[in-house]
Amino acid sequence: MATIWYGLLGLFFAAYLVLGGYDYGSGLLLARARDSADRRAVLTAVGPFFLGNEVWLVAAVGILFGAFPMLEGELLSGLYPAVALALAGVLVVTAAVQLRSRSLSPAVVVASRARDATTTAGKRVHGRAAWDRAIIGGSALAALGWGAVLGGLLQGVPLHADGHVEGVGHIVTPFAAACAVTLLTLVAVHGAAFLALRLPGVGHARIGRRLVPWALAAIAATTAVGLLSSRVRDAVQRPAAAVPLLCLLVAALVVAGGALARGRPGVGFAATSVALAVPIALVGVATWPYALVSTVDPAASLTVADAAASGPTLRLLSWLAVPLVPALLSFQVMSWWIFRGRIDGRAPVYW
Amino acid sequence: MDPLLLARLQFATTTSIHFLFVLVTLGLVTLLVYLQTAWFLTRKPVYERLTRFWGTFYLVNYALGITTGIVMEFQFGLNWSGLSRYVGNVFGAPLAIETLVAFFLESTLLGMWIFGWHRLRRGAHLALLYGVAITAYASAFWILVANSWLQHPVGYEAREGIAHLTDFGALLTNQAFGMAFGHVVSAALTTGGFLVAGISAWQLIRRAPDYEAFRKSLRIGVVTASIGTSLVMGFGFAQFGYLGTIQPTKFGNDEDKAAAAADFAARFGGSPADYLPPTWVGAPLGFMILIAFTLMWVWVFIPFFYRDWIIRLKLPLYLLLIATPLPFVAAILGWLFREVGRQPFVVYGLLRTEDAVTDTSGAVMLTSFVGFTVLLLGLAVADWVLLARVAHRGTADPALGRRPDEPLPEPADRPEPALA
Repeated sequence: MATIWYGLLGLFFAAYLVLGGYDYGSGLLLARARDSADRRAVLTAVGPFFLGNEVWLVAAVGILFGAFPMLEGELLSGLYPAVALALAGVLVVTAAVQLRSRSLSPAVVVASRARDATTTAGKRVHGRAAWDRAIIGGSALAALGWGAVLGGLLQGVPLHADGHVEGVGHIVTPFAAACAVTLLTLVAVHGAAFLALRLPGVGHARIGRRLVPWALAAIAATTAVGLLSSRVRDAVQRPAAAVPLLCLLVAALVVAGGALARGRPGVGFAATSVALAVPIALVGVATWPYALVSTVDPAASLTVADAAASGPTLRLLSWLAVPLVPALLSFQVMSWWIFRGRIDGRAPVYW
Repeated sequence: MDPLLLARLQFATTTSIHFLFVLVTLGLVTLLVYLQTAWFLTRKPVYERLTRFWGTFYLVNYALGITTGIVMEFQFGLNWSGLSRYVGNVFGAPLAIETLVAFFLESTLLGMWIFGWHRLRRGAHLALLYGVAITAYASAFWILVANSWLQHPVGYEAREGIAHLTDFGALLTNQAFGMAFGHVVSAALTTGGFLVAGISAWQLIRRAPDYEAFRKSLRIGVVTASIGTSLVMGFGFAQFGYLGTIQPTKFGNDEDKAAAAADFAARFGGSPADYLPPTWVGAPLGFMILIAFTLMWVWVFIPFFYRDWIIRLKLPLYLLLIATPLPFVAAILGWLFREVGRQPFVVYGLLRTEDAVTDTSGAVMLTSFVGFTVLLLGLAVADWVLLARVAHRGTADPALGRRPDEPLPEPADRPEPALA
């Protein structure tokens, strides 16, 4: 039972990285947009899905709290700085996307030509540029933060038998930094693939293709740093299982690069989605049977079974999840279906 | 600095900000359901204008509700890892259910509602809003189930210091839950009602062009506020009946208080005086009741609907305008009493607050507190400014629910008037 819930937790977090990942990737690519009409197009592409994407994170943490309370406290507080960083990024993006256009009247929103800062409309357009910078910064912070969290899980934390994690400096390592940068590049490629799929024109496919080598280089660097780090070598329980997943990650990126070059954004997006889901599976499988590996006391490492809530709680949650998870999924699928396809002049504009 | 104090300050700050936004979310979504249903049934354009105007207001408010809500969820793990360690088996379940049943669905449906305008059939679009409203209430329901368990733990057994769930039904029939849920929901209705009435009054005072719409929403606001205040007081006073029994140190008579404190001291160590809440905790309760008795008079305005005297006399409009912030103040005061009154326990009589806080240094906690407080306060202030602008702009063509192919109402480059 605990294993199934661990899988479900991984599934929700992976779905968050895939779906929230293209929010943040698109957010990062706002930096490449030439004018406000371009930025508007990017946000309209994300449009209807935005609110439904990051709730996967909320649900994942809910599952973490309900089904793995022990892990929840120790994981979040054990990786405090990385989680706080990611959280700050998530908050900024959440607020900024929803609020960026709210002080503008529709006339200015649609035309977005008022650049003169002396008029009220001009000032508000400038105000929106500030929100846009917040989206870019927040997206970067969220991607870096979650990358560092995954890196932190792979290198273990100084967890003591009484359940407390010593200090916070342990997270600051070259490996965690490399993981953070790797996730940032993955998210950027993923965002470009999403925009190539949703927007007319080939600009984003080109950006995505150019980003693929960077992502591959980041993965290579992270792998090298990880192999050199004794903490990572000790924490990884099953290197044999990790290697195929790492190969899958590289293969997905290569496929994505090729598909974007050949004008197949659908395949490209599917491949980058795989690339964002694989790191979760990698962390989960590599440290199995542990959910949180201790670097100071092997006996203090938290196994998945120990981390799980006690029997009655899991049974209750399972009874609820059986009807609920398919229902949640079907509402999400409904949203994807209603707003499928490439956006055009008739797409509703709100953000 | 003391990590415990900082963690408590951070929780109080985040929750207060969160509470201010979710009250409006819950209250306004109820009124939106009414407005859009009326539009669906009567097809009168005034209801469309009102749905779009109050819908925009609701969404700007929702942005911060969800942002602060995410912080709340993470804060349990970041700052209060003892809570998940000792009572997570029981306390975690309603929170997990809340995220899955309510938060998740609410946002997914809301995204479809915002962008589904003119794309979905009118009935399907309305159904989405009903879904948003139901999940919003479900969210309040499960959060209050979780909070009530902290107030009055039931349905568990403690083995080796860790609480295990034995009877989930007991969490739902918890004495601390029912009336409190009614109280919070009707407080949200009151807040929403006064907010709608206050903003409509402001628009009518400044003789906004859309008289028809704001006349209507003024009436809706006043009626909602009247119903809300009666309910909120009923559910509030009903809690006095049992509060002294389940939480003697919060609301018992002096004898019960002393007995409970002595009992806690015997079980957890220390002196009985350590187990009494701060002496000032009665003050927020008193002020909240005072505000409620003031706001209760709102029903007096209902007869003045006759021949629009409520508008023509002007005075009621000014009174409604100045009453707008009062429900927010009352809500924070009531929350302070409920949460501070159970100190020094985080789970009443079971887990002390100091045993639940994460074992980390003061510097980490201080950085987190200052960082997140500055970030959330900055976003909240920005949001309030935007809400004021939305309220000020009136019903003229909000972005929400525009036809994508509709021609623009004015030349795009024309600068807006300074105050519009």
